[in-house]
Amino acid sequence: MAARVAIQCDGISLTYSAKAGAPVEALRSISFPIAPHGVTAVIGPSGCGKSTLLQIVRGLLTPSAGRVIFIDEKTGNTASRKPRMATVWQSFNLFPWRTVGENVAFGLELGGMNRSERAERTRRSLALVDLKGFEDKYPRQLSGGMRQRVGIARALVMEPEVLLLDEPFGALDAQTRLVLQEQLSRLVETSGTTAILVTHSIEESILLADTIVVMTARPGRIAAEIAVDLPRPRSLATTHTAAFSSLFDQIYGLLRDEVVKAMATEMGNV
Amino acid sequence: MLKEESSKPTVAEGPQKAFQLVQQIGEPRVLGWLAVALVLVMWEVVVATAHLNPIYLPRPTHILAALFTMFSSGGLLTDLLATLGRIFGGFAISLIFGTLLGTWMATSERVNAIADNFIAALYPLPKVTLIPLLIIWLGTGGPFMLAISALGAVFPIVINTVLGIRQCDPGLVLAARDLGASNRQIIKMVLLPSAVPSIFAGVRLGLGVSIILVVAAEMVVGKLGLGARLYLAGQILETEQVFAVLIVLAVLGVIVTKAQDLIDTRLTRWRA
Repeated sequence: MAARVAIQCDGISLTYSAKAGAPVEALRSISFPIAPHGVTAVIGPSGCGKSTLLQIVRGLLTPSAGRVIFIDEKTGNTASRKPRMATVWQSFNLFPWRTVGENVAFGLELGGMNRSERAERTRRSLALVDLKGFEDKYPRQLSGGMRQRVGIARALVMEPEVLLLDEPFGALDAQTRLVLQEQLSRLVETSGTTAILVTHSIEESILLADTIVVMTARPGRIAAEIAVDLPRPRSLATTHTAAFSSLFDQIYGLLRDEVVKAMATEMGNV
Repeated sequence: MLKEESSKPTVAEGPQKAFQLVQQIGEPRVLGWLAVALVLVMWEVVVATAHLNPIYLPRPTHILAALFTMFSSGGLLTDLLATLGRIFGGFAISLIFGTLLGTWMATSERVNAIADNFIAALYPLPKVTLIPLLIIWLGTGGPFMLAISALGAVFPIVINTVLGIRQCDPGLVLAARDLGASNRQIIKMVLLPSAVPSIFAGVRLGLGVSIILVVAAEMVVGKLGLGARLYLAGQILETEQVFAVLIVLAVLGVIVTKAQDLIDTRLTRWRA
């Protein structure tokens, strides 16, 4: 059974040197807690460094300052080992030369798991995302929505204690997005994993998250932490409730000025 | 009235059949082979009727006969095998060495900087110009033949390996790292597979150069091999044998090209 893990982002800053010109400050002293076995959404204008933050939590990027602390929920202490983590990517990042089954099994193969156990777990993981029987297809033979389900299966097969979702539905059409949001929401709930969802969709963050962290334009800072206590399961109907609207307006109000600022920065860069 | 109607189809049948035949001949594939046959027949007829000296232009049937005797009693098979061994032996060396060096160059800026100038200097150099130097160093035996063959193929393979690995989507490397891949695993399981189409394009170019160089080297120094056979036949004005060796080389080229096509489609099935 997976340990339940809480995460504390502790004063994370990232400044990187650009090829030309002054160094770029991407993140400035980001501190916030991530509750175990729930979904924390990080929302902000484009270029605010929210995907960068996700990669820092995953350990794929090293921050200039600050650290990510993993806390074992049972003991309340700093975890003795890094939790198992897996990421679902906006652009899917499936290996095009591998079949669906081989893509899902990639992480298990790296770990040296034997073939039969790998096949068994791959089959189970694909069943979770309703892709039974697609093992031998290549990614290019699938639609965008199916590809992302492979991406989700590839992450879930690792039995992650922390699931990182990097704008997972950003490249999908509106209908596919709705269906997958519901599916993912269920999967996260049943698996008891701690999930971090990076998104630029206010609606998506409210539908999926327990807590929403709103970030500012670059350099990314925390503008607000908002608890979402709408009942689950949430669906399209949730979006028609008054509680949803008031949350939406609150977040939009926080984001609007930041988006304008971000646009101004982008214009300045052109 | 009725009679006329019933007779209509029979009237149309003749021209229709002829039309179908013309259509079949018009098929690009059929047309291509028909053209070959036509040239051969015309060649045979013209040479026979004009009584051309066979030293200049022998008849295709005589060339075929020469080819047959060379294979059955003239040891042409030995020459063919020697040439093939040299081509593919050298090619195998350059495939292994070229992919390794290319991978190393693509993943290390320092190695790239070191190797880059040497490659820039050697790559455009016509490799036949290296034959004299290689003979001085290695003599004219097996090592020389393998070296010249490997030299021909190695540059396109190195360059295409570097290119292929550099074109790998960085998102795939991130995804692999996320799933726990070490640097070595990323090279083996992400960078190299993603570069396979590009490496294979290098293999195509390289193998072509290897064939040219081995045959050219055999013409210069060889006692054995298709190039040597070709050169000797020319020296003693055995034009039929010259043509026969050319045919073997041409067929070899066709087989190699078709085999590459086959391997290419198998290896890159995952692409569009």
